[in-house]
Amino acid sequence: MSETKALESMIGEEYKYGFTTDVEYEDFPSGINEDIVRLISEKKNEPEWMTEFRLKAYRAWTEMEEPSWFNATYEKPKFDKLQYYSAPKNKPKLNSLDEVDPKIRETYEKLGIPLEEQKMLAGVAVDAVFDSVSIFTTFKEKLAEAGVIFCSISEAIQDHPELVKKYMGSVVPARDNFYAALNSAVFSDGSFCYVPKDTICPMELSTYFRINNMNSGQFERTLIIAEENSHVSYLEGCTAPMYDENQLHAAVVELIAMDNAEIKYSTIQNWYSGNEDGKGGIFNFVTKRGACRGDNSKISWTQLETGSAVTLKYPSVILQGDNSVGEFYSVAVTNKRQQADTGTKMIHLGKNTKSTIISKGISAGKSDNSYRGEVKISKKADNARNYSQCDSMLIGQTCGAHTFPYIESANPTGKVEHEATTSRVGEDQIFYLQQRGLSEDDAISLIVNGFCKEVLKELPMEFAVEANKLLGIKLEGSVG
Amino acid sequence: MAHPTRIEPSILHKLAKHLPENGSARWTNVRQKSMQQLNSTQFPHKKIEEWRFTDLRPISRTEFTHINDAGTYKASDIEKYFIPESDRSRLVFINGRYNETYSSIGGLGKGVTVGNLSRFPDDENVLEYLNNLVNYDDVFTLFNGLMFEDGAYIHLKEGAKAEAPIQVLNLYTGSEKPFIANPRMLVVAEEDSDVTIIEDHIGLEENSYMTIPVSEVKVKQRAHIHHVRIQRDNENAFHISRPIAYVEKNSEYHSYTITLGAKLTRNEPRVVQEDEEVDFTLDGLVLIDGEQVADTHSVMDHRFSHANSHQLHKVVVNGKAHSIFNGKIFVRRDAQKIDSFQENRNLLLSYDGLVNAKPQLEIFADDVLCSHGATVGQLDPEEVFYLQSRGMTEEKAKEVLTYAFALETIENVKVDSVHKLLIDEVYRYTKANSNPKVTA
Amino acid sequence: MLEIKNLHVEVEGEGTEILKGVNLTINKGEIHAIMGPNGSGKSTLAKIVAGHPEYEVTKGDIIYNGESILELDPDERSHAGLFLAFQYPVEVPGVTNNTLLRESYNTIAASRGREELDPLEFDDYIREKLELVDMKADFLERSVNTGFSGGEKKRNEIFQMAVLEPALALLDETDSGLDIDALRIVADGINKLHHEENSVVLITHYQRLLNYIIPDHVHVMIGGKVVKSGGKELALELEEKGYDWLESLATVNGEAK
Ligand SMILES: Nc1ncnc2c1ncn2[C@@H]1O[C@H](COP(=O)(O)OP(=O)(O)OP(=O)(O)O)[C@@H](O)[C@H]1O
Ligand SMILES: [Mg+2]
Repeated sequence: MSETKALESMIGEEYKYGFTTDVEYEDFPSGINEDIVRLISEKKNEPEWMTEFRLKAYRAWTEMEEPSWFNATYEKPKFDKLQYYSAPKNKPKLNSLDEVDPKIRETYEKLGIPLEEQKMLAGVAVDAVFDSVSIFTTFKEKLAEAGVIFCSISEAIQDHPELVKKYMGSVVPARDNFYAALNSAVFSDGSFCYVPKDTICPMELSTYFRINNMNSGQFERTLIIAEENSHVSYLEGCTAPMYDENQLHAAVVELIAMDNAEIKYSTIQNWYSGNEDGKGGIFNFVTKRGACRGDNSKISWTQLETGSAVTLKYPSVILQGDNSVGEFYSVAVTNKRQQADTGTKMIHLGKNTKSTIISKGISAGKSDNSYRGEVKISKKADNARNYSQCDSMLIGQTCGAHTFPYIESANPTGKVEHEATTSRVGEDQIFYLQQRGLSEDDAISLIVNGFCKEVLKELPMEFAVEANKLLGIKLEGSVG
Repeated sequence: MAHPTRIEPSILHKLAKHLPENGSARWTNVRQKSMQQLNSTQFPHKKIEEWRFTDLRPISRTEFTHINDAGTYKASDIEKYFIPESDRSRLVFINGRYNETYSSIGGLGKGVTVGNLSRFPDDENVLEYLNNLVNYDDVFTLFNGLMFEDGAYIHLKEGAKAEAPIQVLNLYTGSEKPFIANPRMLVVAEEDSDVTIIEDHIGLEENSYMTIPVSEVKVKQRAHIHHVRIQRDNENAFHISRPIAYVEKNSEYHSYTITLGAKLTRNEPRVVQEDEEVDFTLDGLVLIDGEQVADTHSVMDHRFSHANSHQLHKVVVNGKAHSIFNGKIFVRRDAQKIDSFQENRNLLLSYDGLVNAKPQLEIFADDVLCSHGATVGQLDPEEVFYLQSRGMTEEKAKEVLTYAFALETIENVKVDSVHKLLIDEVYRYTKANSNPKVTA
Repeated sequence: MLEIKNLHVEVEGEGTEILKGVNLTINKGEIHAIMGPNGSGKSTLAKIVAGHPEYEVTKGDIIYNGESILELDPDERSHAGLFLAFQYPVEVPGVTNNTLLRESYNTIAASRGREELDPLEFDDYIREKLELVDMKADFLERSVNTGFSGGEKKRNEIFQMAVLEPALALLDETDSGLDIDALRIVADGINKLHHEENSVVLITHYQRLLNYIIPDHVHVMIGGKVVKSGGKELALELEEKGYDWLESLATVNGEAK
């Protein structure tokens, strides 16, 4: 089947992940206070230091103000109405797939997540996070053979406390920002991955996030550590059902790469984006940051952001080690009334550090799409290099595209280059492709795919096909 | 008696005794409005996005005195700043006050009115435009609105072409105490008119002062304005300027700002498009060293279809100097077929220098071609090497390349003596700042 | 095969009339040449036949294979076998020739009820066609027309025609910008592609092309109308005399140009 055929078959599907799953929840009273934080910690049977970590974060949070510097307007989440812990009632700690609530398994099957062993051939290890709780991690054993730890963060706190204690909050401190502080206080689960020295992780690791419960916020926490000479690639996918109310997703992701280590982190974010009039949809306020601690280390973020009502997200790299490399490849598509303010930060501290930023923003409908990036060359970062290319494409007359790059250089041997352009899908291009037999929608989809090519080619194969489909569906009928 | 007058609203009333009273009822109105707004306006600080990179403490820590009490010295030997082309088209302001002796305004031909504003308090254009074109709402602009006493007024009748460039020379004298000057300029170019304006700010001695030049420019249909702004304040001065231009259908406005002096400069040029088919330029050259801070916050506001706009902003930073550039390009919803290009190039020569750049595109229309680029770096090592291989010392090679880098922005200045003057300034700077220590 | 009847065309929304009553009939298997001074409406005619949205038909009709195609979208016309080689081929950054042609080929194939080709089959197929216009395989992986030289773009258009095998090809100044060798190669290619089941319309300014591709009919357009038609000798006559002697024909009906 041709690429466009694949797109065609998706036509009219609108948001196909918008179903809800009927499972029983073990719910907490809504609202937040120290007792709730303690209760979460208790529920998860956490050690004292973890409870302390949460409480400190909570206290910091109460003193912080919700940020408003970004290019988006929305009704602020009502933090006292939110549910900070929500778990499917069946016991979360499972020994085999059969024990997963069949309804949840059904959900994941609908989502096409390779949760089953048969998908082992695909070589993808999956951790699935349903609302707040990690449901099951596949391939644990195979990974364990290689020495890789891949489990839910709750398990890691129980089984590998020394690692969690050492690294959690070391890249994104609890008081880093409003949402990171909130996450640090109430995070419910997430993925943990530790790749030991001299190890190439034998398979792609993957987590699927699903928000199901209507009033629950989702606060996952991901921590990935790549020791010296190791390599890991991690994929993350997100979906949520359609509700009229906005749901909050405030995750924190921390990556740590030691000498010569490499972490590749890819995301396809397709949370529910709200309806035509901007009702409902996910608030996606995520703090993602990686630290290239070691020399010659590399962290690469690739993202395809198509969902959410409001996205505020800046996956960043702190380039501490000499010769370390940071990359950010992003496609952000907004349609209807979506608002996305996304980009990256590349903080150059070490010598000969290098960063590349390729960002493609596509706005359609009545949406607003902003690139916000910061490149900082510190005084000691001799010969640091940054190259940024930020292109925006507008489809139609009622959307907006914005580019806000912040550049700071304090080193005369550093070099920063930033370029940005704005263009549109040209009528003459559409006509040309139509003359060659393509329908208007296919023509647009082809042009947009071409526009995003540099980024899409960075996605792992498993995601590339899905990415193409998503782009097509997303822009369906946006011209004309 | 001294009047400590930091420009913070809370102590503004202390200035009351000096509030200017000249001009017409309209002027009184401007001053009253400014006063009211000033009372509810915060002094800027780093938490405000627009002031994030600029440290204003040197200003807020300075005890300014009203100019009448500042013990100003007499200006002398100022003829050397006169440009020959403007022999009979020159307005001279000393500390923001008009100086008739040095001014010379006879030579502009028919249809061109040039003079000091307070001579035209009830001129219909002054009534219509004075302070109405300003769209800044910060304390500095408001302070000028409250305290200005005079300014330059340039009016061109329909079809009038100024026969010579007009020099608006702003001189700041030495003084016992720091003072604040509030120069103003109003330019109205009617349909099909044409004028070149050379605006020059010069600090005559080494004293501390602050100048807040506010200029309003109206370019009507098919009119052309060529506006050169040179800032040569002394190294203890603060220069906060607000030049704004409104461009009507088929008009052209080209402005070139050269920033050389001052301890702290905050320049906020803006161009607002008022109709279709316009062409404008907002170029800048900043050459700073020592502990200078130069901050340019520009806005190119495209509100209608068919505009061509360009901005080339070049910066050379040496010593402990700090440059900030924040350039906004707006393309509003119905402004189609906009061709806008912005380029910010920074040359950082020293380890203690700092460059902040934030070019921004805010686009709300789809049929546009907008791009911006920003670079920060040193001279291209390849080019240095090339010149060295042709026999130049490294120092000389860098000097030559820095000179060439800076020169591009002033190439379009079309008044010969000014062009030459700027070349000399660039040469002086590069000569003094070619630093062999920073190597590739 | 194609019948253009009293076609009047305006720029959409502007009301300037460009074609002022064009009549033209093209039968299966024929080669036609259209000549005429700059701005006479040749490209407009080609584009309106292909369904360009910038123009509006105010009067008359375009009949293709017995049916009016005025209501068809450009892609539907393409599926029906119409091909336009653009005077100014459009650049499509990021989309490779290969991707475009596979998409095009397969959609057109599907609409004609033919087998689609899988990527491997398609690769074989397309390489054969490359030879026809003597193009290097590198061009397959380059973005459509992006950064191509003027001549390369023209050659690329004929290459696409070779791949898509249209029933009626409108070639708008495909010869302009080609060097001497390329002109011969492209002309040979067109000749090879032509057979009694398809038709070709050449829009050109130069008799030279017609030495290679012998037209059955030559038409002269002036001021938005076909003012004279004839055999291949007409082209020679034009080469010699220019268009002046025909200008008067443009106003015979008392209508100013
Ligand atoms: N979109 C348009 N808007 C306004 N005028 C147009 C438009 N398209 C074509 N025209 C005008 O219509 C006339 C015919 O143009 P066309 O391109 O068809 O000429 P042509 O015969 O192909 O000329 P050439 O030999 O130079 O290619 C010209 O005067 C042209 O300027
Ligand atoms: Mg033509």
